[in-house]
Amino acid sequence: MTSRPAKPREAARDARAEALVASFERAGYTRLTPAILQPAEPFLDLSGEDIRKRMFLTTDPHGRELCLRPDLTIPVSRDYLASPAAGRAQGFCYLGQVFRHRQDESSEFLQAGIESFGRPDIAAADAEMLALGLDTTAHYGLAAPDISIGDVGLFAALIAALDLAPAWKRRLIKDFNHKTSLAQDLERLTLSAAHARPEYQGVLAALAGSDPKGAHALVTDLLSIAGISAVGGRSVGEIADRFLEQAALGAQTSLPRETRALIERFLAVAGDPDEAAAELRAVAKDGSLKLDAALDLFESRTGFLAARSVDVRRIKFSTAFGRGLDYYTGFVFELHDPAGRAAGQLVAGGRYDGLLTRLGSKKPIPAVGFAAWIERLIACGGAA
Amino acid sequence: MSAPFIIAVPAKGRLQENAARFFSRAGLELIKPRGARDYRGTIAGLPGIEVAFLSATEITELLGQGMVHFGVTGEDLVREMIPDADSKVILIDGLGFGHANVAVAVPQAWIDVYSMADVDDVATAFRLKHNRKLRVATKYINLTRDFFSAHGITDYRIVASSGATEGAPAAGTAELIVDITTTGATLAANALKVVDDGVILRSQANLVAARSALWGESERAAARLVLDRLAAEARGRAFREVRARFAGANKALLGQARERFGIVLPFGDATSSGMVTLHCPPAQVHALATFLREHGAEAVTVADLGYVFARDNHLYAKLEAGLAS
Repeated sequence: MTSRPAKPREAARDARAEALVASFERAGYTRLTPAILQPAEPFLDLSGEDIRKRMFLTTDPHGRELCLRPDLTIPVSRDYLASPAAGRAQGFCYLGQVFRHRQDESSEFLQAGIESFGRPDIAAADAEMLALGLDTTAHYGLAAPDISIGDVGLFAALIAALDLAPAWKRRLIKDFNHKTSLAQDLERLTLSAAHARPEYQGVLAALAGSDPKGAHALVTDLLSIAGISAVGGRSVGEIADRFLEQAALGAQTSLPRETRALIERFLAVAGDPDEAAAELRAVAKDGSLKLDAALDLFESRTGFLAARSVDVRRIKFSTAFGRGLDYYTGFVFELHDPAGRAAGQLVAGGRYDGLLTRLGSKKPIPAVGFAAWIERLIACGGAA
Repeated sequence: MSAPFIIAVPAKGRLQENAARFFSRAGLELIKPRGARDYRGTIAGLPGIEVAFLSATEITELLGQGMVHFGVTGEDLVREMIPDADSKVILIDGLGFGHANVAVAVPQAWIDVYSMADVDDVATAFRLKHNRKLRVATKYINLTRDFFSAHGITDYRIVASSGATEGAPAAGTAELIVDITTTGATLAANALKVVDDGVILRSQANLVAARSALWGESERAAARLVLDRLAAEARGRAFREVRARFAGANKALLGQARERFGIVLPFGDATSSGMVTLHCPPAQVHALATFLREHGAEAVTVADLGYVFARDNHLYAKLEAGLAS
């Protein structure tokens, strides 16, 4: 068997990317080389069904769905959980191909990146990721990329602090990553007429004012009298709970205009991190909201960035900035070419504290990381 | 050497019977010269046209690839199997059979769920509670994904199902389903209900043209021939012929009849003796007959129409417009 000799361009590309990963290793990150062929399940489960049409899927003889890895975050996380280091603070780096159907670019491309697990010093770890991301673009000759950052945790803190029905809280949090839905939600919350089924309206209204325990028992009993047992994974108790929650929701008057205005004012906050923090403190004060923990973390992170000699005034923060992926829970960032030579972000990442639990970890493990698009970096930085 | 013009037609079951009847009514007899188990056939009297008998799935695939010119298949399969279907095929006409709705169905026990907004909320609550996603069993993976995405639903997983999808919730392999339903009886038997705004597609068998097939002059001529007969038959079916003779049959009165009953005048206004032929939608025939007698007609005859060949052919026009765009 002979293998095709690498073309000079590819050799140069690979050498430069190898040098980048070597710098990650020197910074204390252990290199991992996860399998290219991965079980499809975790990607579909964590990234959502929308990723299915961009994935290269296949089936093994036992009917298990496999895919060519569409990213490396999940494979690295899985390898970490399967290793003896699982649960301990440990950082990893990687370089390798990922595979996604793309319209205007090759569907096979190179990514390098870092995943940092188990570090309790959240703000410092966040800042280190952005700093290493900036080192990455600098490695390709782009010292001053556009820096966009956001913090999903701030929005979560805002929603938690608001006096809203649980159903609306879950919905607003979920829709943060889908901006048209969020706008619709706010619209609907403000109008909020009755949205329960008309024939149930009377029953729901009667239940709304009653003792919750008794109402729950009643609905559960009615379901069992009707001979309806649980089908699928939802228990009768869950159904009864939500049925009653809808009753409460129907009875609740609409979202006060001031609250909506507050959410919208919050989402409009943008600027450099210091300005933004000052403005967010003002919003919190005006709305008498307790956002101190989230804002303290935000400011502490900015401090660590400055300490790593990142020019904080160049950072564009926006409360509305999310990365469209549901698994981010805190800090998120993207680095772009100011000249617009690449088809998308050059480096992007963020904090995903919930991911490892969803991959099967018994205890929560904080996690933060980023990925770099090698071909795009080359396109911006000139020669490979 | 010229390649034949190919029409792909379902090979089995109800769809095949309905398709054969549909073509036959239009004077297009599908024949299998080498016996019933032959997969290739022709149309009586039209030697330039080849008929391929295939499964609906294969027909849809070949249409997407442009390997056949025309095919009869369900819109559900077209939308599911051909990405960006409207750029690949032209749906020339619904054929009036093979009706089925692709719809989202949940267990009847979910008394708190009647809209897609509820499904969305339940999906998110389910993930938060169980740390896994709601599973949707379906064979319509693409239709489901696009529909759920349009409703902003993200906390769900598709479980590919190849048969008896409606049994998945009871079997515990999924929480809800997306499937075709005609009467809803199968769903009810499995203790499922359709979500109010959960109908993804109202599908029926369609005559479909492949954009990327070879469309030279001879292919267009063959398509025109076929569509001419189909259009004439369709038009014949859409109208009854109503005839009468009376002095009051003037322009104003006929204009009034057009307004009220949707008639057309295939041969123009009444003759000098007041003889007039009208084409009237079947549902309006009785009302029209009363109307004409009230205005002086002694007798009104109504007859079924076999074919109505008109100078314009809306089906062929649709094909031409589709191929040009």
